[in-house]
Amino acid sequence: MPHILPKLTAIINSKAPFSNTAGKDALDIALIFGSFEQPTSLFFQGDGVWQLIQEQNGALISVKDYLKTFAAFEFYDLENIYVCQESLFQRSLTTDFHIEKVQVLAKKKFADKLATHHTVLRF
Amino acid sequence: MPTLHIVRQSTFNSDDFTQCLQVLRNNDVIVFIDDGCYNLHHPLISTIGSEANIQLSVIDKHAKARGITIDESLYTIINMNNLVELTLTTNRVITWQ
Amino acid sequence: MKKIAVVVTTPPYSNLSVTALDYVETALKSGVELVGVFFYQDGVMHANQQAQIASDEFQCLQQWQLLHQRFQLPLHLCITAAEKRGLSDGQPNNIHPNFTVSGLGELVELVNKADRLVQF
Repeated sequence: MPHILPKLTAIINSKAPFSNTAGKDALDIALIFGSFEQPTSLFFQGDGVWQLIQEQNGALISVKDYLKTFAAFEFYDLENIYVCQESLFQRSLTTDFHIEKVQVLAKKKFADKLATHHTVLRF
Repeated sequence: MPTLHIVRQSTFNSDDFTQCLQVLRNNDVIVFIDDGCYNLHHPLISTIGSEANIQLSVIDKHAKARGITIDESLYTIINMNNLVELTLTTNRVITWQ
Repeated sequence: MKKIAVVVTTPPYSNLSVTALDYVETALKSGVELVGVFFYQDGVMHANQQAQIASDEFQCLQQWQLLHQRFQLPLHLCITAAEKRGLSDGQPNNIHPNFTVSGLGELVELVNKADRLVQF
């Protein structure tokens, strides 16, 4: 019997935040899915991890700072936030993020977690 | 619970295929389509261990259109009908583009 | 019978969109039920009926129309993404009538209706 369990959706963020709208477009989907009570997880991989680092100021280059909205994830029931440890390591980044409750996962665990989801969108 | 990975970009141009390999699990299926066909002879292919039992497939006309030869000992040659079938026989689809 | 939903994010002037159309057409012709196509990001430009494409180039909009008419394929347009790109269902209306003006809530619907979602 299909669909007895709610369908888990994963959104992978793979782009740096400012030069294109991928991060904002993914955020819009996440917030709508959250407000429709659709269980949704966010994954940050590759250059997507740049969306999470501290001390960013898009206003300096006229980007509307959508990253601030990440602080509202909990309000939208978006509580599963996963970051690829290998992607952080490749970029010499630490685990100091501008939001809390982020889970940094080693490659295998990141892959296993992603594979628990039914639908995957990637931006 | 295999995942179908649809790879659409050349890894000489983007990090997408590398990220696909980061989340690859045993018994997954990779299909190279569009500019993903440019990865067929990339050294990254050899990093996929045979023990992982990954099915590597290529859409025939996408490789042919680009003048890329397909090593049939490595790759399964498929068409669009097969890609639709793979969508249904695997458990989820991730498009790397 | 399993159902598929498709998300298109690539513009009509990209060959990537030809692949998306090929996939959708192949699925429909093989009898798979497509619950709908959701156009997002640059994908919304497929609905622009004012776009001028040289007659010897691939006509994406014409193909979507054919699939919509032959298979009653729902074509949903994210209106926020569309308006950002100069598309409007007001006056003048440049959105092709085969497309349904929708929001991201429709994507939630499609995810729930479909057994698989494929992004192009």
